Amino acid sequence: MIRQIARKEVLENLLSLRFALSVLLTTCLFAVCGHVFVNAHREQSKDYWKRTNENLSALAEQSNQLYKVAFYKQGIYRKPQPLALCAEGQEGALPNFFEVNAFTADLPRTKGQVNFALPQFSHIDWALIVSLILSFAALVFTYDGICGEKESGTLSLMLANAVPRHKVLLGKYAGTMITLAIPLILGMLVSLIIMVSSGEVAVGGREWLQISTIVAISLLYLSIFVLLGMFISSRTGHSPNSMAILLLAWVVGVILLPSLCRIIFDVACKEPTDEELQRRLNQVREEIWNNHEKYGKNAGYMSNDPNDPGNNPPARARLQTALMDATNQLLQEHHNKWLEQALARRDFACLSPAVIYQRAAEAIAGTGINRCADLYRQAKRYGADLKEFIRSRDMEDPKSLHLIGPEQNMAYSWRAISHDPVGFEMVPKFQERDLALSQSLKLAVWDIGLLVLFNLVFFAAAFVSFLKYDVR
Amino acid sequence: MIWKIAKKEFLLNLMTFKFAVGAVACVVLTAVFMPILAADYRQRLQTYSRNVADNEAELRTVKVYRNITHTIYRPPAVLSAFSAGLEKQLVGSANIELDKVPELSVTERKGNPYLPILAVFDESLIFKIIVSILALLVAYDAVSGEREQGTLKLMLSGTVARYQVLLGKLVAGLVTLGVPVTITFAVGLVVLLSYPMVAFGSSDWARVGLMFVASLAFTAAMYQLGLLFSCLAKRSAISMVLGLFIWIIFAIVIPNASVQLATQVRPLESQEQRDGRLLSLKQDLASELGTVKVDFSASLITSDEGDSFGGYYAKRRDIYWLNAEQKLNALTIPIKLRYADKSLEIERSNLNSFLAQRHLARSLSCISPISTYENVMAILAGTDITSFDHFINQVRAHRNEVVEYIRSKTGDFSSASFFAICTEAESAEYTRLYVQIEKAQDEQAKTKAEQALKEWEQQNPVKAVPLNLQDFPWFKYRQSAARDLSNAIPGLAALFIMNVVLFATCFAAFARYDVR
Repeated sequence: MIRQIARKEVLENLLSLRFALSVLLTTCLFAVCGHVFVNAHREQSKDYWKRTNENLSALAEQSNQLYKVAFYKQGIYRKPQPLALCAEGQEGALPNFFEVNAFTADLPRTKGQVNFALPQFSHIDWALIVSLILSFAALVFTYDGICGEKESGTLSLMLANAVPRHKVLLGKYAGTMITLAIPLILGMLVSLIIMVSSGEVAVGGREWLQISTIVAISLLYLSIFVLLGMFISSRTGHSPNSMAILLLAWVVGVILLPSLCRIIFDVACKEPTDEELQRRLNQVREEIWNNHEKYGKNAGYMSNDPNDPGNNPPARARLQTALMDATNQLLQEHHNKWLEQALARRDFACLSPAVIYQRAAEAIAGTGINRCADLYRQAKRYGADLKEFIRSRDMEDPKSLHLIGPEQNMAYSWRAISHDPVGFEMVPKFQERDLALSQSLKLAVWDIGLLVLFNLVFFAAAFVSFLKYDVR
Repeated sequence: MIWKIAKKEFLLNLMTFKFAVGAVACVVLTAVFMPILAADYRQRLQTYSRNVADNEAELRTVKVYRNITHTIYRPPAVLSAFSAGLEKQLVGSANIELDKVPELSVTERKGNPYLPILAVFDESLIFKIIVSILALLVAYDAVSGEREQGTLKLMLSGTVARYQVLLGKLVAGLVTLGVPVTITFAVGLVVLLSYPMVAFGSSDWARVGLMFVASLAFTAAMYQLGLLFSCLAKRSAISMVLGLFIWIIFAIVIPNASVQLATQVRPLESQEQRDGRLLSLKQDLASELGTVKVDFSASLITSDEGDSFGGYYAKRRDIYWLNAEQKLNALTIPIKLRYADKSLEIERSNLNSFLAQRHLARSLSCISPISTYENVMAILAGTDITSFDHFINQVRAHRNEVVEYIRSKTGDFSSASFFAICTEAESAEYTRLYVQIEKAQDEQAKTKAEQALKEWEQQNPVKAVPLNLQDFPWFKYRQSAARDLSNAIPGLAALFIMNVVLFATCFAAFARYDVR
């Protein structure tokens, strides 16, 4: 019976104006999305490879002397992701440049031209289309699902037969979801075809798995709005009233609530400032310099002449390492504060299902804040690997003092680190690793849980309301 | 007859559920939004006043003219609560330095890079989103709904002309929607004005007045759009679906698409190109400065002291060095000033490519009344791109004033007060005494000379007094209300034209409407 009702719903919807309009609108948008993405991806990849190769050739120049490799600040850029098509995650405005050497990593920065004068710099992606346009379409499909049938009198006819009410509800739900899935899948196919046929982006098995997960999450998200529509539709007797309530709920939940939460958070929370960081850095450095005798005799003294008896290289190296460790720790703390603040702001905005959905899609696609933070972690780990490499190579040079300290002058004039040439092919190079799918799923599991919870709540509400619905 | 129809329609509209929901939502949301927006404004105002006060205090301790390198800030716009525009995206502070360009931190965002600025949030959002939907909802069944009920046929079978019916419905709709718009505006204003730091000048009231007019015109346009669909469709369900889809296109698709298109059509000037031009300019400057040769070999004594803004000044130095430095400044500062102006041109053209993209996006989005309305509100609130342009121009003028001020005070940068707190006479005397010690033949003469220097130093202690900035051209940000108002005219006109066109189309559609 459920199947029959669902079939009737689907057929009825397929012929309606709203279906035609939503298919037209979403297909156009998905096509534009695919096209824009392919162009942007081409540009970004070109840029990325150019800059990465520049960085590598600069590093190759340094490899004539081992110590130079250690001190050269390498620029690491964010690789354009193929799945930014699905969820771009505001990456346009997130940091994309990390500078690292064997001893330290600078705070992430945004490099390149971003026009901050434009109203918003989020690219059009699947998550945007689904969260704004298709969720709206879901309401347009369901607002008269029950009260409309009551108005036209068919509901009482249907229930006069031996059909239990829950079957009617489930049938309608299934029918609407199928109708809604048509523009969704169609649009996604169109933009995928545009992407794959351009030949710019390699899509492998892993990507297909991610894409199908995103499709599933999208359906889960849309189902919330279908259930909400059915709930409101079975609370009201008049379809314009149900539309008015639904529109209000949509506007508040999808558009106003995220912005409202963000601004409340911004007003309530203070940003950690650069001045504060500088002040703390100066303070810590001063403290270490003032107590330099702690690290050994004459640690604070340095003469470029390696034979100067006043020099105490091990003490000097200890002092400089302590300075660098303190700096790195403060930078890390500052970075963590930034990250915590950004994540907390987004968590706070999670009252809105649209934000939950976008966050889940971002996690699955491997983009957004978490990815940038992970890239920073990877850059730091790479720095540590490079240091280990320098240490092991340095052992081979008998003339070196084997003091892997962060002071370039020391390495240069005292030969604290070897000055021998090193084979460039042996120097470790930075390689970005994507998060494993299981890890991104772990990131998204809470969000999926929340989406399921929303579904259950609205389903229960719709179920109870429809059971008590007065069909007269 | 029009009035009768209007009155009936108005009363009917007021009783509808959708109107109640929409109107209550507007008022409640405004009451919730405004305190938050006001708190946000207060915070920005506090930051601004703190920055300005700190900066002025530091400027007042400057000891030599060279170190007048203060920063000027753009005050937050009080009406940003009504329309935030670009208020938060463009930070708006500029560093004034004599031989460098005003460094405009408008294109570079500081602070947490993980916190991207997303959609703006302000009072005009309520109008943009909720009032526009409400207008569509009130209008969608005005004609097609009456046809479905059969009352339209009855009405037109009387002696009433069609245009009267349409006008009556139009007047009724406008009056109905005027009620929530007015109440929302009033509630917003009352809440905002209840905060002590908010003070409106007469120009602010003019701005608010025009904002209200713009809001009414926008609401009328959206209502007529709904009415048009109502006149085009036979069934009210169809006109509602049409209205909603056009709304989502206007509210979400067009603003996003115009930005996308603008970035594609008019790409930004590349950073490499700009950096290259700046670099070549720097090289030119260095080579030109290299031609200036001043002999410092006779200088004897070094004593510098730190000053405000991270600068330093010469405390007590010999006359040879002083004269050499004076000569150097008189020769090099004009060259540096000339190059600073040139690099300002480059910065300006870079900034212009940003602004041009923004302008294009804005013009493209003008087909949507929602975007047009948003732009008008931003212009009126003084948070638009043009007001930033204005700020940048003022900064430039201020820099020129400061340069002129320093030039006049230091005799074309040649006076010692430009970089030192000692005068030439002092320095000459000091050098004479100092040289006496150096040239002393025996111990006795040397002690005597040292004694003389010590006595002289006691009589003439180092006077590190701050500069007298009585006639300093302090920066005062002038918001030009007249300019903003005249800038808003095209947008306002566009809204009115939309109204007229929509009305004409409605009229034509309704005249041919099949009432059966």
